[in-house]
Amino acid sequence: MIPGLPEIILDSLTSGVLAVDLEDRILFLNAPLSQYLMVDRQVWTGKPAADLFNSFGSQLSAKGKLAYRRDPLREGGRTRTRELEWKDGGRVMHLREDSGPMRDDSGKVMGRLYAYHDLSWEKTIDQMKSEFISIASHELRTPMTSIKGSVDLILGGCTGEINDEARELLGVAHSACDRMIRLINDILDLSKIEAGQIKLKLAVFQLSDAVDYSLRSLKTIAEQDGISFKVESSHSVLCVEADRDRIEQVVTNLVFNAIKFSPANGEITVSLSADDKWVTCSVSDHGSGIKEEDLDRIFGKFQQLGAPQRGGGTGLGLAITHALVTEHRGKIWVESQPGAGSRFIFRLPKAVAPPVEQEP
Amino acid sequence: MVLGKVLVVEDDPDIQKLIRMSLMFRGVEDVVVANDGQECLFAVHAAMPDLILLDITMPRLDGYETCRRLKGDPRTRAIPVIFLSAKVQRGDEEIGTRAGALGYLTKPFDPMTLHQQILIILEKAEALGIV
Repeated sequence: MIPGLPEIILDSLTSGVLAVDLEDRILFLNAPLSQYLMVDRQVWTGKPAADLFNSFGSQLSAKGKLAYRRDPLREGGRTRTRELEWKDGGRVMHLREDSGPMRDDSGKVMGRLYAYHDLSWEKTIDQMKSEFISIASHELRTPMTSIKGSVDLILGGCTGEINDEARELLGVAHSACDRMIRLINDILDLSKIEAGQIKLKLAVFQLSDAVDYSLRSLKTIAEQDGISFKVESSHSVLCVEADRDRIEQVVTNLVFNAIKFSPANGEITVSLSADDKWVTCSVSDHGSGIKEEDLDRIFGKFQQLGAPQRGGGTGLGLAITHALVTEHRGKIWVESQPGAGSRFIFRLPKAVAPPVEQEP
Repeated sequence: MVLGKVLVVEDDPDIQKLIRMSLMFRGVEDVVVANDGQECLFAVHAAMPDLILLDITMPRLDGYETCRRLKGDPRTRAIPVIFLSAKVQRGDEEIGTRAGALGYLTKPFDPMTLHQQILIILEKAEALGIV
C-alpha cells in the first residue's frame, strides 16, 4: 500500500473533511477544508474545533453560528445534514454539512466526522431558475389578460348577441383562462417564497382574527354544498407575530382544501390553542383522508393526491402553505386516516407583545 | 362622472385594443393610445385627456418615471393618472402612489368592469378633494 494513501485520498476530495474526537478537538482537517478556511491545518490539529469556527464567527450567518454549537458526545450516533451560509468578503457561500459518528473497530463512538460540500453552484442555479420562473410567469400574464379580456367582452355583449352554443364554448375558454391565471399566480408566489424574495410584514395579531377573515371569505363557496364551519378555541389570547396577509393565505388554503375534500353537508372544524411557546391551528375535515404512503409528499409541488369532491386546484396550494409557515419559523404537518378525514395542523411562535389595536 | 377622453399608455397592442374596446363600450368618447412613456409625454399635450391609464413595465421610459414627469409638469399635473399593470408585488402600489398616481389596477383585469373600477377611484379622489 502507498504510504499515507488514506490522507492522499481525503486531500484529493473536492469536499472538506473534518474529524473531531469526543471532546470536539480536531483530529484531522483535509486540504480542501483548510484551503477553504485559509488556515494551517498543522497548527489546528489537536485544538478545539469550536475555536476554529469561532475565529470566523463574524463571517458566519446566524444560521451558521447555531450549527457550530455542537457537541460530539450529545450528537452520539446520529447522522445529520444541515446547510450553512458563509460570508467571504462580499460573497455569500453556501455549504452543506453532513456529519456522523466515527467508530473504532469495536463499534464504540470515538468522535465525529464532518463533510462540507460547496453548494454555491446549486444556489446559483436555483436563483437562475427562480428568476426564469418569475420572468416567464410575468410574461404569461399579458397574453392571458388579452385572451380572458376578449372572451369577457364577447360574453358581455360588446360585439352583439351570441348564440347559446357559442356562449357555452366561450364559458369553457373563460374558466380555462381563470385556471391558467391561478396557476401562473401560484407558480410566481412559490418561486418568490423559495427564492427568499418575499418580505414578511410582521405585526402582532390574534390568530383567531385571521381565521375569522378566511372563513368569511370562503363561506359562500362552502354553503353551495351545505358545508358548515365550526371554530373551537381553548384560549382567549392567541397572539402571533407574523405577516397577517400571508397567514390568512395559509388558513384560506387549508380550509379551501378541506372544502374540496369534504362530502356535501359536511363540517369543517378549525381549532385554536396555545402553550408557552406556540399558537396552534388545525383544520379538520371528514373527507376521504390521505393514504399513509402519500403523507410525506402531500406538501410537495404539483401533488394532487386523492379525488376532490368539488373544484380543482393547481397542485401548489399546500406547497405554498408549507413554505409560508416555514418562512414564519413555524411548523406544519398532517394527520389522516383514509376514509375518516384529514387534520392539517400548523403552529407559529407565540408573540411576546400584545397586538396593537387597529383603528376602525 | 363622464370620461370624455382617455390616454392609454401600453406597449402590448392586444391589450391596447382590449382597453379601447372596453372603455368605448362603456361610453368613453375617445381613447388615444401611446406605446410607451416617451410617447405619452409627447401625446399628452395634443390630447389633453381626462385620464391617463398607465402601464408600468414598458420600453424606453417606465410608468413610474412617466408619472413623475407628468406630475412635475404644470401643464399636465392636474390630469389624473391610474396605473394598470401586471406588477403585483407588494410595494408596487406604494411606489405608484408616491409617483403621483390616484390608484392602481392590476392585470389581468375584467374589461367589463374596468370603466367602473376607474370611476370608483376617481370618485373617491374627488370626495377627498384630490382631483
